[in-house]
Amino acid sequence: MDILLDEDEQVIQEAVRHYFEAECDTDRVRRIEDGGELLDTEMWQQLAELGWLGLALPAMQGGSEAPFTQLCLLFEEAGRALAPVPLHPHTVASLTLADAVAVGKGGPLAERLLSEAAAGESLLTWAWNERLPGTGPEAVTMSAEPDGNGWRLNGTKRFVEAFEGADYCLVAVRSNPSGGPEEGMSLLLVDTKAEGVAGVAQRAMGGDTQSEVAFDNVHVDGDALVGAVDAGWELARPMLERAVVLNCALVVGATRRAAERAFAYAKERVAFGHPIGSFQAIQHLCADMITWVDGAELLTREAAWHIALGMDAALPVAAAKAFTNERCQMVIREANQIHGGYAQVKEFDQQLWYRRAAAWSMRLGTSLDHRKTVARALELG
Amino acid sequence: MDFGFTPENEAFRAEIRDFLNEHVSDGIRQEMKQSAAGHGLGPLTKVLIGKIGDRDWIGMSWPEEYGGRAADLIDQYIFEEELARARVPLNLGNFIEQAPAIMFAGTEAQKKYFLPRIVKGEVTFALGYSEPSGGTDLGSLKTRAVEDEDGFVINGQKVFTTRAEQSSHIYLMARTDPDAPKHKGISIFLVPMDTPGITVRPLWTLPGGRTNEVFFEDVRVPKDTLLGERNKGWYIGASALNLGRAGARRYCTYVSPFEDLLRFLKEDEIGRELAKDPVVQDKVAQLYCEARVAKLFTMRSLSMVRRGENPPYQISSEKVWGPEFQVRATEAASQIMGDYHQLWDEDQAPNGGSFPRQYVSAMVSTFGHGSTQVMRTAIARRGLDLPRE
Repeated sequence: MDILLDEDEQVIQEAVRHYFEAECDTDRVRRIEDGGELLDTEMWQQLAELGWLGLALPAMQGGSEAPFTQLCLLFEEAGRALAPVPLHPHTVASLTLADAVAVGKGGPLAERLLSEAAAGESLLTWAWNERLPGTGPEAVTMSAEPDGNGWRLNGTKRFVEAFEGADYCLVAVRSNPSGGPEEGMSLLLVDTKAEGVAGVAQRAMGGDTQSEVAFDNVHVDGDALVGAVDAGWELARPMLERAVVLNCALVVGATRRAAERAFAYAKERVAFGHPIGSFQAIQHLCADMITWVDGAELLTREAAWHIALGMDAALPVAAAKAFTNERCQMVIREANQIHGGYAQVKEFDQQLWYRRAAAWSMRLGTSLDHRKTVARALELG
Repeated sequence: MDFGFTPENEAFRAEIRDFLNEHVSDGIRQEMKQSAAGHGLGPLTKVLIGKIGDRDWIGMSWPEEYGGRAADLIDQYIFEEELARARVPLNLGNFIEQAPAIMFAGTEAQKKYFLPRIVKGEVTFALGYSEPSGGTDLGSLKTRAVEDEDGFVINGQKVFTTRAEQSSHIYLMARTDPDAPKHKGISIFLVPMDTPGITVRPLWTLPGGRTNEVFFEDVRVPKDTLLGERNKGWYIGASALNLGRAGARRYCTYVSPFEDLLRFLKEDEIGRELAKDPVVQDKVAQLYCEARVAKLFTMRSLSMVRRGENPPYQISSEKVWGPEFQVRATEAASQIMGDYHQLWDEDQAPNGGSFPRQYVSAMVSTFGHGSTQVMRTAIARRGLDLPRE
């Protein structure tokens, strides 16, 4: 037991932080958002060249096979920098392809896309949520009926990240409507340019691009299948757990940076002849902020560690998300309070962290959702 | 990052758990209840503590020359956790605060005398810090120790001196230089409680236990009761106090009301009915996450100390989060259990009446050993480098 970072982890954390500090100032973040662009393509290429798009992917497809804990640190840093790149959907989708390939159930399309994903040549995303979002299997109702050598898809997915720029989308579907929610689910790779696929951009508070995607009689071939037919939940469950933890890591990274900016501001800003950071009312807010974000970080890393070791991660993942969602928002609200009037001003940077961390913490399951999972794991009721 | 324990760690945990399962009898449990109600340690409990002392667990992480075996701090943590879980009333504070202070500042003679006796449970210390005029603000200390040829003469009063009635010694802070600035004229004395001139008066507390006032009237002590350098007491005390705030036993105290609630909801017939309510489930799940953070904070401090780092603010964070969680948990338990939570009589109440006792005693954690407000100021100044003015 030593829950601090080990040497390898420190190396990756420092390298990633160094890169983003050098490359990703808030001008760059604003340029992408204000220009309505999907991503900073130059940064995306650099991340690919640095090997970070394939950090935890198999060596066979050009990845580095780093443990999930290190990937979690990469995401903390990306969140800290508000990196304007679709790292989250791309990584979630590619890790699931890697899972399928590892058990010989990937297929040639998945193998090809995995190599291209690691190299930054293909952008991947995933489509899970529909009308009633959630991280349980019941969230998926979209139908896929047998059609020739493949399937015919009908339905609508919502909140699909980076869909507009993505090449392929990993779509969760009901391939067999009979049976319980965990049965009859499949994961299919869909070409985003395929006939019958229509995305409508959903503008969101965090400034990232999401889409509502309608699938109208979309045909996919048999090689679109990732994993086994009707056994998609086996892959989807770990996919969602990783997605949740990487989301927490983004939120924690952004929140820590927002808190640090508020601490720095409290040292500079003078009121009544003293820096406001010398007032105990402000000091005690700051003390709570660092305590809360530390708590969220430790829960997130503990969940990542469970995943990295292949242990049952349901409880620590849900605990991390339930806590991080609410506590990190509390931290940033206090950071806003310390900044006072400037927190609401667009040209002042504080709002960049506030909007993103808040919007991210509304995704992939609310605290209420995840506390249901915690209660189940505690065998209550 | 490694959040796991090795098979060797787990084997050690099992060894302690087996020992406690075997030796904590019904008679000892009865005595523990009496002890918790302020009646001192019972004879069977004293025998148990002696047996624990024989097992070389107490002070295991100390250097060998002082009776320890330089064991890994993780083993020490596991030992504390299991002892707390079995609710054995062994005052580990001495091993974590007073003993390290003696190792750090004591003379060879003091180390040779006190450390082995602490391990055997023959010497126990009550903590003589707080006074009627000030608690955490030790700088305002008024108890005086005046030096003459033979030693020191002590006059003054301490308050909230828990276990003074059952301790062999008091770890006493007294002012030795009234003209020095606040923190600079204080010294620490290791004073036997049977020294003439010491009077102990009980202050009965809400959960049914006691703390004390201790009066010192012309108490004569020899020079060798002084610990470390004269007038350096505040610095010795501050380092020991910081170490004393870490450790599993504190986090175990903070989360014990939540663990009791969880057990009640899963095992008690009425509790199982209450646990079917989704509102209750949501609240309990929230408390679970917060309890987990308390534990992770302890593991973080332990990880830092094992690496030889001195945590600048992390131990203070533990001491804010944990006690306030404890209070929140008792409040939540009271609103989940309702009428059953208020029952005090151990024959009628769930879990022997632990819930109302936890409820009224949880507040002690938020001010005992440094209030959460003082801790927050320490986090802001030492951890975040915020200015004093």
